[in-house]
Amino acid sequence: MRPPGKREREDRREPDPALEGNIASAGELETGDRVVYPNQGVCRVAGLEQKDIAGQRLEFVKMTREEDGASVLVPLQKVPTIGLRRVASADQIEGVFHYLGASYDDPELDWKVRHRDNVERLIAGGVLGVAEVVKGLHSLARLRPLPAKERELYDSSRHLLVSEVAVSLGIPATIAEDYIDYALMPPAGVKLPLKPPPKPVELKGPPWKRKKPVSDEDDLGLDELGLDLGALEGEEPAPEGGEAEPAAEGSESERAAEQTPEAAVKSARPAKSEKKAARAGGEEPRKPAKSALRKPERKAAPRKPEKKPAKGRPAKKVRGGKKR
Amino acid sequence: MIRIVTLAAFEEGDITHLTRTLYRSFGVGTEYVGDRALPKTAERPDGRFDAVKLLDDAPPVRAFADDKVVYLTDVDLAIPKGPLGEPPAWGFALQGGDRGLVSTFRFAPRGVSESTIEVFRRRLARECTHFVGHLWDLHHCYDPRCAMHPSWSPALSADPEHDLDAFCREKSERRIRLAKT
Repeated sequence: MRPPGKREREDRREPDPALEGNIASAGELETGDRVVYPNQGVCRVAGLEQKDIAGQRLEFVKMTREEDGASVLVPLQKVPTIGLRRVASADQIEGVFHYLGASYDDPELDWKVRHRDNVERLIAGGVLGVAEVVKGLHSLARLRPLPAKERELYDSSRHLLVSEVAVSLGIPATIAEDYIDYALMPPAGVKLPLKPPPKPVELKGPPWKRKKPVSDEDDLGLDELGLDLGALEGEEPAPEGGEAEPAAEGSESERAAEQTPEAAVKSARPAKSEKKAARAGGEEPRKPAKSALRKPERKAAPRKPEKKPAKGRPAKKVRGGKKR
Repeated sequence: MIRIVTLAAFEEGDITHLTRTLYRSFGVGTEYVGDRALPKTAERPDGRFDAVKLLDDAPPVRAFADDKVVYLTDVDLAIPKGPLGEPPAWGFALQGGDRGLVSTFRFAPRGVSESTIEVFRRRLARECTHFVGHLWDLHHCYDPRCAMHPSWSPALSADPEHDLDAFCREKSERRIRLAKT
């Protein structure tokens, strides 16, 4: 018997029940419902549509993006796996504002980790995930100007957040944005009535994707000296200046920014397939999908043990944009 | 085309400075339409004006597709209270829409000296650029030197810049190029 193909494996993925308001099956949808399609924004369900594709009769859920009226077609069986969710409730939105207003002074400085986290949060993190991306990049922008691709990501995630807050509270988008920025950067002398913020959604990506805590011993202090370990090992050194990051990450973020709804689904897949493999326990973990996102990490992985512990070196986290 | 309508008395020199600045910022023609009466229907019991209602009730101006109309006033504007309070309203505009409103109520007094007048004019130009930016679908910017930075931000100087930063400028130019007309 032939092993299940990639498409079949993807179709069998389980829905992620972690988020409140996630659509677990197409049966929950009714015509006229407002839902949020990750990375696309608020859509209105227009109904079911059948199409003949490659000789097969497939059924799609047809949605219309509220912002510009663009049509989005989602195969019926993929509805539970693409992160489709209901528009956030007023309670959730209030939690978002308390989260935005809470102090946050520890932005992720490793751009690779940061970028992957952000893309994943936008897809699977719900409205709070979008707020996390906005807040994280906003905090980082206080330290240094964002590179071009992250600036675009910041703008698009802000756009998604503004539209969802506006739809949820029933207010114009500019007022929703004023509320968001009032929480992010309150005027001088104003003390916001903040409550404890909700806990951000724990991303369930594969372990190699997760942020690893850096111990003091791992750090050689090379960042402070301006040395690049990759360059010493014969890798091509990164170009200098603020444009280094976008050049390196451009291929990833461009794809994320310009992805079609279907592409957005694909970008979410690796995390879930890995998670499923891990859940299986005794079963041998499946080979991760051949994704362009993973390649740099695989190359980087064997290099880590080569770092020798340096005692008496200064602390690892360098603020102010020295660490890449 | 950006069309400016005044709902209060403004000096001619201020309007001239404003039209020039908006033309420089967006590269589209800007003209002063004239003076109109302030709609009293938007006044609230506390004497402030509901920004959303004021823009709804503002007297219509003859405009073509993709024209942006900016109303200038000097009344205290209010917007609905949010989950964390009411942000100070320096104006209001519909995101990606065609009409915006700017109030000089929170500006430093215009005064009579050259320096205070210059500061007033620069601030007026900055706020108009900000709200016209919203009309071209721009969002707020984290850079305090950009005109799209929130007007109440503590990072903003007393005499802030009225130019857009590179990202916002490019985005607005893209939008303007894509406009129907």
